[in-house]
Amino acid sequence: MLKFTIRRLLITFPQLVVLSVLVFIMGSLMPGDALSGLIDPNIPAEAIQARREALGLNNPWYIQYRDWVFAMFQGDFGTSIFHQRPVMDVIGDRLMNTVWLSLFSTVLIYLLGLPLGLVSGRYNDSLLDNAITGYTYLGFATPQFIFGLVILWVFGYNLGWFPTGGSVAPGVAPGSLDYVLSKINHLVLPSFAIALIGLVGTVQYLRSGIIETKQKDFIILARAKGVKESAVYNRHVFRNSILPIAAFFGYEVVALLGGSIFIEMIYSYPGMGRLFLDSISTRDFSVANVLILLYGFMAIVGALLSDIILSIVDPRIRIK
Amino acid sequence: MAKYSWSKLMFFTMLIMVLALAACGGGSSEEETTEEASGDASSEETTEESTEEETEEGSGEDSASGDVYNYEDFGMTVSNEGEPAEGGTLNVGLSSDTPFEGTLNFNFYQGNPDFEVISLFDEPVFTMDENFQYTNDGAVEFEVNEDDNTVTFTLKEGITWHDGEPLTIQDYVYAYEVIGHPEYPGIRGATDGFTLIEGYNEYKEGDADSISGIEVVDEQTAVFTYTELAPSLTAGGFWAYALPEHHYEGVEVADMAEAPQTRENPIGIGPYQVDSVTPGEAVVMSKFEDYWRGEPNLDGVTLSVVSPSSVANAMETGEIDLAINFPTDQYPDVEGMEGVEWLANIEGAYTYIGFKLGEWNEEEGRVNYTPEEMKMGDPELRRAMWHAMDNDAIGERFYNGLRWKATTLITPYHADWHNEEVEVPEYDPDQAKQILDEAGYEDTDGDGFRETPEGEPLEINFASMSGGDTAEPLANYYIQAWKEIGLNVQLTNGRLIEFNTFYDMVENDDPAVDIYQGAWGVGSDVDPYGLYGPDVPFNYPRYETEESTQLMEQGNSPDAFDVETRQEIYNEWQELMVEEMPVVPTLYRAYVVPVNERVVNYSIDLEYNEETLPYNWGVTETQE
Repeated sequence: MLKFTIRRLLITFPQLVVLSVLVFIMGSLMPGDALSGLIDPNIPAEAIQARREALGLNNPWYIQYRDWVFAMFQGDFGTSIFHQRPVMDVIGDRLMNTVWLSLFSTVLIYLLGLPLGLVSGRYNDSLLDNAITGYTYLGFATPQFIFGLVILWVFGYNLGWFPTGGSVAPGVAPGSLDYVLSKINHLVLPSFAIALIGLVGTVQYLRSGIIETKQKDFIILARAKGVKESAVYNRHVFRNSILPIAAFFGYEVVALLGGSIFIEMIYSYPGMGRLFLDSISTRDFSVANVLILLYGFMAIVGALLSDIILSIVDPRIRIK
Repeated sequence: MAKYSWSKLMFFTMLIMVLALAACGGGSSEEETTEEASGDASSEETTEESTEEETEEGSGEDSASGDVYNYEDFGMTVSNEGEPAEGGTLNVGLSSDTPFEGTLNFNFYQGNPDFEVISLFDEPVFTMDENFQYTNDGAVEFEVNEDDNTVTFTLKEGITWHDGEPLTIQDYVYAYEVIGHPEYPGIRGATDGFTLIEGYNEYKEGDADSISGIEVVDEQTAVFTYTELAPSLTAGGFWAYALPEHHYEGVEVADMAEAPQTRENPIGIGPYQVDSVTPGEAVVMSKFEDYWRGEPNLDGVTLSVVSPSSVANAMETGEIDLAINFPTDQYPDVEGMEGVEWLANIEGAYTYIGFKLGEWNEEEGRVNYTPEEMKMGDPELRRAMWHAMDNDAIGERFYNGLRWKATTLITPYHADWHNEEVEVPEYDPDQAKQILDEAGYEDTDGDGFRETPEGEPLEINFASMSGGDTAEPLANYYIQAWKEIGLNVQLTNGRLIEFNTFYDMVENDDPAVDIYQGAWGVGSDVDPYGLYGPDVPFNYPRYETEESTQLMEQGNSPDAFDVETRQEIYNEWQELMVEEMPVVPTLYRAYVVPVNERVVNYSIDLEYNEETLPYNWGVTETQE
C-alpha cells in the first residue's frame, strides 16, 4: 500500500513538469499580458513598456519559465501583477474560504445523498422512490447558477434567514466565536446550493447500485440465513453498492476544491474559482500558473485518494 | 395508473424547467468575458459592462420595456432634504463580480473597486470645479507663478492623519518621491504632473537622490519648479494625494503596495477611518472625529461587495443604502423599486468606430499616416458610413436612452469643452448613397455591393469586441446599415473578438482590420493628445495631420492656461475631427446610482459642493 502510494506520488512529479511547460507555452500564445488591461490614455505607452521590461514580460517563454522555476525552488512563487502582492498570499486568502465551502458542501452531499439513495434503492418503484428520482431528474436539469439565485432570493432576500453575500460579516474580529458562527452562517446558502444539485449523481449511483446488488445471490443467501432486513441492507447491500461512489469521492472533493465559479459569483464569495478565471482573463499568469499546478497536483492526489478509498471499501481490488 | 400520471407530471415539470432554462441561458455566458472592464476608471473598456440574466431581452429588436430615459431628467443629488438623524450607519454596496484587490492607498491601487473603497476614508488634497480644474478648497492650496514656472503648495493648518499624526507638506512631497522612485511598482509617475518637475527624470532614472525641483520651505509650504507650465497641471496634473511618511517608515518602496500598512490598517485624512478590512469583501469604517472640515454626521460607513446579479435585491430590501457601479442595463427592469431614488450622471467615456489609416512605425515611434494606401483612406467613404448609422435609434433600442448619439471626440462630460455646435453627419442613408455615387463607388459587377472607384471589389473588415448581450446585435446592426448603402462589411474573423485579442490585433495594425469598434474612457484633463497624438501608440487609427497635431499641442501649451483660449483651440480641433473623421464617435453614455430615500446630502455631481461632501452625509432614520 505504502509502496503504491509512493510510486503514484513519484509519477506526479514529471506530470507536473509537463503540465507547467504546457501552461507556459499556451500562456505565451495567448494575446495580451497582465498590463494590456491597463490601456489608459493618461499613461504614456513608454511607461507601460518600461514596466513590461522590468517584469520580464518581453522575454520568450522559456526564459520566463526558467526564471519562474528557479524562483520557485527558492520558495518564491512570484508576485501577482494584478493584485500587487505575492501569489501565495493572494491564493492563501481565497484557499481557506474554498476549503470551508467545499468541506461543508461535501459533508452535505453525502449526509443527504447517501440516505436518499439508500431509501430510493431499497424501496424502488414506490411513491417515495419516485419522488426522490423525480428530484434527481430535476436536479440534473437545473443549472447550479439558477438554483443558487433562486435560493438566494427566497432565503436570503425574501425570508431574510441568511446573509446574502460574502464569507463573513464585516467587522467581526477573526478568531472569536462570533467570527466562526458568522462564517458558518454565510456558508449555509452557498453550500446548500452546491449540495442540493451536486448530490443527484450520488443518489442515482447508489440507487442503481442497490437495486442491482439486492438481487445478487449472496444477498438472497444472507436473507435465507435469516439475517435481519436492516442488517442485509446496511451491511451487505450498502457496502457493495457504494463502490462507484467511493471511486468518485476523491475526484468530487478535488472538483469542489477547485472552486465553484457560479456560486462564488452569486454569493460574492471570495474563493478560488473566481480567482482562477479572473487571473486568466486579466492575463495574470503568475497566479494562473500556480493555480494550475495546484489543481494538477490536487487532481493527482484526488485520483490517488479514490484508489485508496476504493481499496479500503473493496478488498477484492486491493493492490499488492 | 398512479405511475402513469406521475410520469406525466414529471414531463410537464421538465418542460417548464427547460423553458425556464432557455429563457435564462442567454445571460450566463457573457459573465466570463466582461470583467476586463473592471480596470481603472479611465482605462480602456469593453463595449459593455457586466450584465446579467434578467436583461437578455434587450438584445432583441425591442427592449424588454420600451421606455426611453434621458439622464438629464435624473437628479445628481438626493432629493431628501430632511434633517439627518444623529449618527447612523451608511451601508454602501459596491457592485462587482470580483472581490476588491485590497491595495488600499491612492498611491498604489490599480483597480477601480479599490479606488471606490479608498475614496471613503481618504481624500484628494485638491478640489475640482465643474470643468475639472483644481480649486483651493482642499487640504492643500496652490498658487501658480507663471514668471518663474513655480507653483507654491500651502497646506492648511490642523489636519491630521487617522492615527493622530499631523499631516505635513512633506507627506505630499513624499508621494512624489515614492511614485518617482526607481523601485516604485506601478505605472504612475509618467504624466505631466510628474515629468514636468525639474530634476524628476534624473530622480526616476536613479541618477539623483532627490527631486531637485521640489523645495520644502517649512512644515506647511513647498515650492515646485517646473520646466514648463502646462494647462494639464491644474486639470488633474498635480498629484492629488498625500502619502503618510511616518506610517510607511521602514518599508521599502517596492514592498509598499503589499505591506500591511496598505492592506490591513490603511490610514488617510478623510472623514471616516478604517476599523477593519475583510479582504476582498468588506471594509468597516467609523467616523474620524478630528476630521479637519468638521465632525462627520454619521457614526460610520460600511462598504461591502455585492454581486451584480443580486445588487438590485440588496437595494430593494434596504440591505445597502446605495450601490456604486450599479449595472446600468438593469435599470429599466428595476426602476420602479420602492424607497429608492435614482441618480444619474454622464460617464467620461465614448464608443467609437475607428478607421485604419496607416500603421505604427516602431523605429521612429510615431504613426505612419498613409491614407492613400488604405482601404478606408477616402474621407467621403467614411462620411457615407457615418450617415448610414442611426446611433440615436441604437441608443434607444439597445440602451433605453442611457446611451445616445455621440457627436464630437470631447464628450459632454467635459461640459465646457464639448463643442455643441459642431455639425455632424445625420442619419440619412439616401445622402450616404449619393456621397458614394459622387465619389465613384459604384456597383459595376452587379453583385449588390459597390466597388472602389478603380473598379476593385471593396470588402471592409470590421473588428468588434465580444462582451455583453448587446455586442453581437450591435455589430450586426452596423453591418446591416452599411449593407443598405451598398457596402460589403464583414466581421473580422467572422465573429466577435475577445478583449485581449481585439486590442492585440488593433495595436499591431493587423491587415485583417480595416475598421473597428472601440471605447475610450477619458480622464479629468480634456487633452486628447494621449489618444490622437502622432507619437502615441494609442493613436490606433494611425492618423496624423499637421493641423490636428498643432491644435493639440497648442491646447496644452502655456498659452492655453487661459480657459477661453483653450476652449477655442479644442472647439477647432473637434470641428477638424468631424471633417477628417479618423474615427467616428458613436455613443455617449450615462450611469445610474440607486440611493435609499433615507439618505441625505449624497450627490454624484463631480463639482465641489461643501454640503454633499462625505462628512455631511446622513440618514434620516436609523435602522436596527
